[in-house]
Amino acid sequence: MTTRATAPNPFLEEFAAHAAELPGAGLPWLDARRADAIKLVRAQGIPHRRIEDWKYTDLRAALEGANDLGKGAGVASLHNTDGLEVFEFGSDAPLWVVENFGAAGMDDTMSAASLALSQSTLALRVPANASPAQPVDFEFGGAHARLLIVVEAGAIITLLETPVGGAESFSNTGVEIVLHKGARLNHIRTASNAASAIVIEDLTVRVAAGAQYRAHFMSTGAKLSRTELHITLEGKGAEAHVSGVSVLDDGRHADVTTHIVHAAADTRSTQLFKNIAGGHSRAVYQGKITVAKGADGSDSRQTAKGLLLGLRAEIDLKPELEIFADDVKCAHGAAVGDLDVESLFYLRSRGIPEAEARALLMRAFLGDAVDEIGNGDIRAAVWSKVEAALAKATETAP
Amino acid sequence: MLEIKDLHVAVGGKEILKGLNLEIRAGEVHAIMGPNGSGKSTLSYALAGRAGYEVTGGSIVYKGEDLTALSTDARAAKGIFLAMQYPVEIPGVTTINFLKTALNAQRRARGESDLDAVSVLRLVRGKAATLKVPEEMLKRALNVGFSGGEKKRLEILQMALFEPSLAILDETDSGLDIDALKLVADGVNALRAPDRAMLVITHYQRLLNYIVPDRVHVLSAGRIIKQGGKELAHELEAKGYEQIIKDAA
Repeated sequence: MTTRATAPNPFLEEFAAHAAELPGAGLPWLDARRADAIKLVRAQGIPHRRIEDWKYTDLRAALEGANDLGKGAGVASLHNTDGLEVFEFGSDAPLWVVENFGAAGMDDTMSAASLALSQSTLALRVPANASPAQPVDFEFGGAHARLLIVVEAGAIITLLETPVGGAESFSNTGVEIVLHKGARLNHIRTASNAASAIVIEDLTVRVAAGAQYRAHFMSTGAKLSRTELHITLEGKGAEAHVSGVSVLDDGRHADVTTHIVHAAADTRSTQLFKNIAGGHSRAVYQGKITVAKGADGSDSRQTAKGLLLGLRAEIDLKPELEIFADDVKCAHGAAVGDLDVESLFYLRSRGIPEAEARALLMRAFLGDAVDEIGNGDIRAAVWSKVEAALAKATETAP
Repeated sequence: MLEIKDLHVAVGGKEILKGLNLEIRAGEVHAIMGPNGSGKSTLSYALAGRAGYEVTGGSIVYKGEDLTALSTDARAAKGIFLAMQYPVEIPGVTTINFLKTALNAQRRARGESDLDAVSVLRLVRGKAATLKVPEEMLKRALNVGFSGGEKKRLEILQMALFEPSLAILDETDSGLDIDALKLVADGVNALRAPDRAMLVITHYQRLLNYIVPDRVHVLSAGRIIKQGGKELAHELEAKGYEQIIKDAA
């Protein structure tokens, strides 16, 4: 029997070959953080299903079949950044980059890998009280990409994120978001990856007092797709409201794993995730909420629901709560089911054909999660992607 | 309009209707009365074509066509409407959107063009006013949080909107107070027409004081055991099901 722990780790080989060519190489602070990151990658290895957090998402097994791992250089680009500061690591870094880039939450292998190996590296600063009318577009793909966004006090911004990439691609993106006092970020990601792609994204979000992070993650899955979201509500009254829909057709997988830490008093978080799995597909939601000591008066709500379209589809929902504070409100609910036969009969008895009735019920199931998107134009654009995904998922069911 | 001959229907392998005969002509209103478990709802679901209500014998001919060969939605498009005893709550679908989707689906099945949102709203508003269905109710999720009376009024509103040839009212009186009952009955009576037949299914005679039937049938253990004019409903009320069933045996 071979021991997998000693199997070659392609990330380490890549680092050995390319470390000196990475953007910003030679900056002592950055070299040090990358060295720490690769040390973590070496110690932990590539995540696999026997690690509790990755039980439903065997990255190591998926990567064994992917032969171009790390070969395609990452792509990361930002558009509509007028009035904002973009730093591209060609020169000496400003203080806001040094203070924040690769500084937080470095206990996760894939996030460490994107820090250590990213050839596409960007940083964006939204100056205090800025409020651009246009959303900032962020496109990324390939292995590996890294983005830092710092939103200064009182600024308000919308970020539209779209993963791009070819069929056989592996991409690993690490995003760090820092929201200063009273800042607001509306973050919408729509992922329509190829069926054979492996897509990892790790987001670390720090929310200061009175600041608000709102996010929506729409996914049609991939061969393997993992979105990991780590949010820390660091200041009094900080809020995070995240929602998402995964609509999967045959052969696809989408894993959304969240960890929200209420680290300060009177912080609020809501989560609403809806999953539809058709064909032979798997949707995963793991949501952990930690209310730290001293985070009294915190309020946290979490809802995850799944709709199975066929016998070969699977949905795994895993809510988890850790509470160390007093006077805390926490509510969570998770449920998986089929389309309701009573509802289906009612609609059909009114002349609505079966396929149309099913589509109507599926849209209704996803509705409240998509409607969390505040901006009407963006919401409409997400809906049209959801409709297309539903049509495909229904085609392959059961 | 509707001709049911020796109809046998099984649910989950158990025979519920055991040789039911019924004929309804255009313009007529028939009532089916019967005790709990006699097969009243089974008949209404079998006519609507609900999955799991298996026709194991006999025939249902509607406007000269074998109804059992048609899907639930095809039957609706051909003019069969079932006002349900327990209208289903569907969160996430607004009532007005549901009405528009259903109306246009029926129109499409008949080869007619879709109506736009404005035309549908205008059409619905006109019917809603007489049934005291407020505009605000149309914006709410379908039947969600509606009172019993609101749900039944919405069923009759749909009937007015879809203009069916055959309307089946399954226990439309259940859960209604006397004012709501009158309102619903007025709505139904307004829809009586020479080219439309109605089948009113009820446990109690009360509804038939307001919707006066041309014929009354008593259903017991899956068969029609007695038929008569509207006076049969009063006889039932006076004697009770047990006595009528004994007399018929």
